[in-house]
Amino acid sequence: MHEFASDSDTVIAAVIDTAIRTVLRDPGREADALGVESLLQADIGLDSLDLAQTAVLLERTLGIDPFRNGPAVPAVRTIVDLRALYFHSSPDRLPRKDAP
Amino acid sequence: MTAAAALLPNLADAPIEDRLAFAITEVARQFPDRIAIVADAGSDQRRSIDYATLATMVTRLEEMLDERRPVGIVARGARVESLMAVAAACGRQHVPVAFLADDARDLVGELRDWVAVDDSLTLPPVSALEYRREFEPVPPNVIVATSGTSGPPRLADHSWESLLAAARLAEQWHGLGWLLVYDATRWAGMQVWLQSALTGGRLVVPASRAPDTVLKAIVDEGVSILPGTPTLLRRLLSAGDPSLLATAKIDRITLGGEAADGPLLVQMRQAFPAAKISHVYATTELGEVFRVTDGRPGFPAAWLGRALPSGGRLSMRRDGELLVQLSRDSAEVGTGDLIERVGDRYEFTGRRGDVIVVGGAKILPARVEEILRSVPGVAEARAYGLPSAVTGELVAAEIVLTDPLPAHATPESVRAAVLEVCCARLDPPAVPRVLDLVKAIVTTAAGKVPRRRLGR
Repeated sequence: MHEFASDSDTVIAAVIDTAIRTVLRDPGREADALGVESLLQADIGLDSLDLAQTAVLLERTLGIDPFRNGPAVPAVRTIVDLRALYFHSSPDRLPRKDAP
Repeated sequence: MTAAAALLPNLADAPIEDRLAFAITEVARQFPDRIAIVADAGSDQRRSIDYATLATMVTRLEEMLDERRPVGIVARGARVESLMAVAAACGRQHVPVAFLADDARDLVGELRDWVAVDDSLTLPPVSALEYRREFEPVPPNVIVATSGTSGPPRLADHSWESLLAAARLAEQWHGLGWLLVYDATRWAGMQVWLQSALTGGRLVVPASRAPDTVLKAIVDEGVSILPGTPTLLRRLLSAGDPSLLATAKIDRITLGGEAADGPLLVQMRQAFPAAKISHVYATTELGEVFRVTDGRPGFPAAWLGRALPSGGRLSMRRDGELLVQLSRDSAEVGTGDLIERVGDRYEFTGRRGDVIVVGGAKILPARVEEILRSVPGVAEARAYGLPSAVTGELVAAEIVLTDPLPAHATPESVRAAVLEVCCARLDPPAVPRVLDLVKAIVTTAAGKVPRRRLGR
């Protein structure tokens, strides 16, 4: 089991899983178990449109879209990559300006 | 209609800029009690203004303009009767006049030293006017802000000729009931109230655009001419009270502002079998370019490249954009509207600026909406582009369900059917990836469906 750094990471991981399952369900595809090292495209079958849809669903739930100012899409290859991208963009993780 | 025959026999002899004031005062002289405007129709706040009252407003304002001679007038009234009185008085007194819709109010800075006139219809005293302009024999211009459907609003310069070019003054048009659902400060709305006032008609302004309020206004006030956008008509047909729909006695429906698709035209013919249905192609800058009256979508393919009855000429850019040349001496103007040959017609496929680009594929939202609306249980639909860092844009859609839903259908089953139909009939990038069920589709002030994501 993947180790999460905080409760908010656990929540984000669950939200990402739900979003991917929603994207795969809408056009009638089957979503098997989502292994953390699964390749988004080759193993799970998420094409760029699916990834774009996932990002929109996640923005609606989490209020952030790290792709907007983030890495080039090809850098996000696995579920772990996707989780890491959202973990690091989560407002809970951003250093507070007034922190010492 | 024997009274109508003698109503305005000399109207066409009057100088064009005088005609509005002439028509109002002449109808008031013959039929002072005739209703010119019914405002807030279909509600408890309904109020009416007769021609005598309207003519008094025009005359008083003319006296003030004649005495004070402002450089120009910005019509700021919220009430249609104020806009009408300002237009009529400014025309006959040769004072330039501007109509700015709410989204174009900032452009007032371009009209330096012009004077705003609101519903009080008062002018500042002569001592307060720094600049004045004497009466000039040449009729002044009329400024109308564009609707901003494609790009920010601009001020478009018109003459009284171009403003009244499409008005129908023949006897058959006299004394009719006109529905005004357009914004009265925009080109399309102005065309309706100008037409009504020039022919001694009754302008009926519903209290809101809610389908039953509009239908109640139509039935209660005897509206026989219904100018509106396809979106409005679709809403009346799908969400209006069927008993009100059945009692509406509509003679004529004039669609404008958006393309009318085949299924809507069929529905309209079924709902209003006695009505003549036409479709006007007009823009604020160009005015009315052509009118299609055969009840079919688009326009005959033979019109492309030939002179139209209006003197204009249509052509098509390589990318499918419709070009208009208004007269032999004028330049060709890009309209931003895309057309496509379908059999013996050219049909409108959307606005150039509306195209959604998904990973390089160009998607026309109107085509997506047509397919969404073809699914039983869907009353209205809007497709639009959501910005996406992954694919540039993503197609998103909103649908309004019919009330009641078809037998055995649930919101979930309609949603599933929509996605299934879209997957079967659209290329993958065009299938809406975000599909929301909403209570109503928000429309713009011009009564059109917005294509971009609305600001949050």
